[in-house]
Amino acid sequence: MTNIPIIIMLAVLCLVGIGFYALLTTRNLIKVIIALQILVKGGLLALVLAGRIQGQVMVGQSMALTAIVADTIVAVVGLALAVQVRKHHGTIDLKQLTKLKR
Amino acid sequence: MASTLILLVIGLPWIGALLVWWIGDKRSALQHALAIAFSVASGAAAVVLIFNASASTVISLDAGGVFGQFTFVADGLGVYLAAIATVIGSLAVIFSVNYMHGEKGLGRYYAMVLFFIGGMAGLVLTSNLLLMFLFWEITALCSYALIAFNNDDPKAVAGGIKALIITQLGGIGLLAGALILYSQTGSYDFNQMIANPGLINPQLLAGMAFGCLIAAAAKSAQFPFFTWLPDAMEAPTPISALIHAATMVNAGVYLLARFFPAFEAVPGWKTSVIIVGMVSAFISAIMALFAYDLKRVLAYSTISQLGYMVFAIGCGGIYASQFHLFSHSIFKALLFLSAGAIIHSVGTRDMREMGGLGKKMPFTRVVFIIGALALAGIPILNGFWSKELVLEAGLTNGPVWAYIIMLITAGLTAFYTFRMVWMVFFGKPSEKHVHDAQPAMKVALAPLALGAVVAWLLAGPFASMLQSTLPAHKIHALSTIEIMMEVIKAPATYIALAVVALGLVAWWQRKNLTGIGKAFHWLGYAANNSFGFEAVNKFIVRETQAVAEELRDTQTGLLNWNIAGLLIGLIAVIIILVMGG
Amino acid sequence: MTAYTALIWLLAIPLGSAPIIYLAGRITEKLSPKTGSAPSRWLSVLALAGTFVPLYFAITHFISEGAINLSVNLISLKFDGISMLVAVTALVLGLCVTFFSTKYMQGDEGEEKFFALLPIMIGSIIGLVCATDLFNLWIWFEVMAISSYILVAFYRDQPDAIEAGVKYLVQSAAGSALILLGIALVFAQTGQLNLEQIRLGVVNSEPSPLLLAASVLMLIGFGVKAALVPLHTWLPDAHSQAPSGISAMLSGIVIESGLVALLRTSGALIYSNVTWGYLIMGFGALNLFVGNLMALRQTQVKRLLAYSSVSQVGYILVGIGVSIYSLQPTGAAGGFFHVITHALMKGLAFLAAGALLYALRMSHENHDPLLVSDLDGASKRYPLTAFALSLALLALGGLPPLAGFMSKWQIFVAGFEANAGITIGLVIFAALNSVLSLAYYTPMINRMYRHEPSEQVKAGAAISWKMALPLIVLIIMIVALGLWPALVRWLVNPAAYSLLSIFTSALVR
Repeated sequence: MTNIPIIIMLAVLCLVGIGFYALLTTRNLIKVIIALQILVKGGLLALVLAGRIQGQVMVGQSMALTAIVADTIVAVVGLALAVQVRKHHGTIDLKQLTKLKR
Repeated sequence: MASTLILLVIGLPWIGALLVWWIGDKRSALQHALAIAFSVASGAAAVVLIFNASASTVISLDAGGVFGQFTFVADGLGVYLAAIATVIGSLAVIFSVNYMHGEKGLGRYYAMVLFFIGGMAGLVLTSNLLLMFLFWEITALCSYALIAFNNDDPKAVAGGIKALIITQLGGIGLLAGALILYSQTGSYDFNQMIANPGLINPQLLAGMAFGCLIAAAAKSAQFPFFTWLPDAMEAPTPISALIHAATMVNAGVYLLARFFPAFEAVPGWKTSVIIVGMVSAFISAIMALFAYDLKRVLAYSTISQLGYMVFAIGCGGIYASQFHLFSHSIFKALLFLSAGAIIHSVGTRDMREMGGLGKKMPFTRVVFIIGALALAGIPILNGFWSKELVLEAGLTNGPVWAYIIMLITAGLTAFYTFRMVWMVFFGKPSEKHVHDAQPAMKVALAPLALGAVVAWLLAGPFASMLQSTLPAHKIHALSTIEIMMEVIKAPATYIALAVVALGLVAWWQRKNLTGIGKAFHWLGYAANNSFGFEAVNKFIVRETQAVAEELRDTQTGLLNWNIAGLLIGLIAVIIILVMGG
Repeated sequence: MTAYTALIWLLAIPLGSAPIIYLAGRITEKLSPKTGSAPSRWLSVLALAGTFVPLYFAITHFISEGAINLSVNLISLKFDGISMLVAVTALVLGLCVTFFSTKYMQGDEGEEKFFALLPIMIGSIIGLVCATDLFNLWIWFEVMAISSYILVAFYRDQPDAIEAGVKYLVQSAAGSALILLGIALVFAQTGQLNLEQIRLGVVNSEPSPLLLAASVLMLIGFGVKAALVPLHTWLPDAHSQAPSGISAMLSGIVIESGLVALLRTSGALIYSNVTWGYLIMGFGALNLFVGNLMALRQTQVKRLLAYSSVSQVGYILVGIGVSIYSLQPTGAAGGFFHVITHALMKGLAFLAAGALLYALRMSHENHDPLLVSDLDGASKRYPLTAFALSLALLALGGLPPLAGFMSKWQIFVAGFEANAGITIGLVIFAALNSVLSLAYYTPMINRMYRHEPSEQVKAGAAISWKMALPLIVLIIMIVALGLWPALVRWLVNPAAYSLLSIFTSALVR
């Protein structure tokens, strides 16, 4: 049983790593939002893990649940914006989304 | 009494500024009248204030915390400079009635002029270094706004911004000085520090001294910051007379004179001051020799004369420098205002297009020549006495090489002054249709001309006022007669007069000296390019712009790069914390 | 009103009024197309004005009896000096912005959403600066962030606004995921969420790498919102594309709230105030330099102002960094004073630029950005607005007798008081940057005072008194603070002491 925290910790690191890797490399806006979700999921898992380590499972879980709500709203807004991007720019390629620069 | 007067001197122009701005440009006659009323009232208050001069703090307001006590002192140095600012200010305002007649944006013009007059009076009357810096910046702001008054002219705008940025750059020196004073003594009151410089540790005192020197050099258009003043000549001419000749540019000299007792002992400071003054005086005199723009010639001569004052301070001649400042304010304001009358009438600033104006503008010719003789240092005009005192201070307390350069400069001054007078009033008459100075202009010019002839009679009372209210400066007061006798007896006077005469003879014999003129051809080229200082300015501006333009590429607009920036920040902070513990 | 009720109402009024405002707008729009959603505008103004009542009681309580502590289970709120300062600033600026927007946003599609989200944003800012437990802090931060995402991308038929919104959202959300990770690390190490408890734990234990990592994650996470260079890249896009009122809010108070959150969390976590002071000062120098150079060559007015915000945050960071480094209150007081003056100055600049944008562009159904060259001769037709923008720019450039001079001065004094080579050098550097900033502020002023108006100005529409009134109010405040900085001492000093108490207690080991 003592291995579980370590496994979860590795999972957190993987999620965060994948999230950032995708954020850095993908040119697809939908994938960017998915990457954000992965990133945040890493954070949520870490919260639950922290609760377990400290023996305050309830606190960790309730924080994670609340964070999910906030995070979902962000995802909704992000996707709504992505829809608008597709509508106005005709693409969701980030390379086409560079009118604002310099 | 003194406190009310100080408030009036600073407050009246500011109230006037608000009023003139408030009533709007549609009622221009009322604007002229109000501007005159408020500036003259302030001038009157300043003159009365002279008789109430004392060394004690007369106003003290607690601004709280790090802003200290807002204090004002009406000591000799302050009251006389306040009087110059307000009196010449009101003359410039009177002159503007004709000069600015029918111009657009009159409200902005007068508001800024009045705001400046109040600010300049505040600058010299406060004894709080924070307030001094505040007023210092206000005068810079007004100077910028007035140089760029004609915003449609790109040269005027560029000149205004250049003046603002260079003086601000130098202003950092004063800022540092004020902050050192506060952090060391817990107060911004510089009088206590001047009386006892030991309050500040020697290293910081040196920082403060050189900071003030930088600030003064930038404000008074001295080497190596002088390039802004010639470009500031795009301002309306009354502004050049008021701000860029008679008042604001004196702020640097004032600063050095004010702090002289504290900085005197700082190693190398006096020599640096002498060098700054000497180099400025000399190279700007050369530049004046080769310039054809009437206002630029006057601007170069302003730099040169300010150089004399700075030089005098470096030699410990506080009284000489302040007396020369007093004389210079009068005769240079006179020269600028009469140049304004000429330019207003002829419609150009190029002296090559003038010539032979004397017959058509008799009044202007008389007053201009009075000013020019004072500038050249011809007896018995005010410029003669004060310049002799400066040179005497240089001979007795300064290094010989500096004295010799200053003597040569005196000769050059005479030379370019006569060149200017000749080109404008004599020589081949120009075809232009011109008229003499208009009534309000004459009202402004006459008192200045009178002042240039007789103001030196105040030398004695002036000295005793400075002596009695500035204990730390150790000024040894003499009566006017004694000062006169001293000047007349001193060998320096005759050496200087000989050099001035040599300058005159050189002008007289200029046709026979063309060979020498040719030999100095390269000098003219260098002078027209301001000895490379302008190129340095341009280089700095261009490179800054180029770096800024290149840096803009970092804002790629690509979202992935924004995230990369975030990660770079994260990694950089981790590295810093791990390395730094 | 007791202290607790005051604090609760302070949060409840802006947040609770939002649904009412929204519904009122929808209902009146349905009932009478002529009125449209006009009532929602004025309800919004009313709600913010009403929030001043509990604020007043909270302040009087704070002044007489000190900070208000409110905790329910794990949630804890504290109304201390910092909260007071930010709440006052946010409400004053918010009220000006809302009033301004009643005309600026009039008739835009979804107007009622705008007027409902604005109080939410302000309420969440107040919540954020009162929160003293980590998770609560994060929630408020998210509410503020989400409301600002929607407000930035408010013109949803404008491709550029959408682009800016997306970039803002993604970068900010990535930052907030880092904060979540940071919270988890802290909780895993200490089992605490309350910042004061965490600090006690930190003080009594050996340095832990987990907490160090957490502090870095928080610094970067909140730093995105506070626009620390190089995390600032969202800012110029978002600020320039948002409706002008929102630009004013984002620049004036939202980024500063991010900074407050950063300071509260790092105060609880750090081991060495000196290192942390260096770090904050370093970011300050970077922000000053990059912000100024980026602004130098901009051609769009709002984008230029946005970059100038990056550099202005630099001054705040310098002041606060010096304070953290030296543990003297002057720098923090200067930094917080600059928070106030920057809110006023940048608020005025964005609102005045917005008024011109509205008159020259939006009244013609044109959503192109306002260019610097469009300002030519603006003073001929819009004397008040041109004056307001000039005044704001001069104040930002640090010229007296305007507010920016005084707040910068206080920051500079702190650098010399700390009496270390690095702080003195930093002050000189900051002063140089101040001079550099004039190189891009002043040309705009000169353009506005040309005699020959640009085509756009000639064809421009009139500016309503509803837009002019907030400008006048802000002008008066900027001049008043420039002449007499002591007017806000009651706000600035408690904030500085609150900040210092956070950082000094971390040191008592």
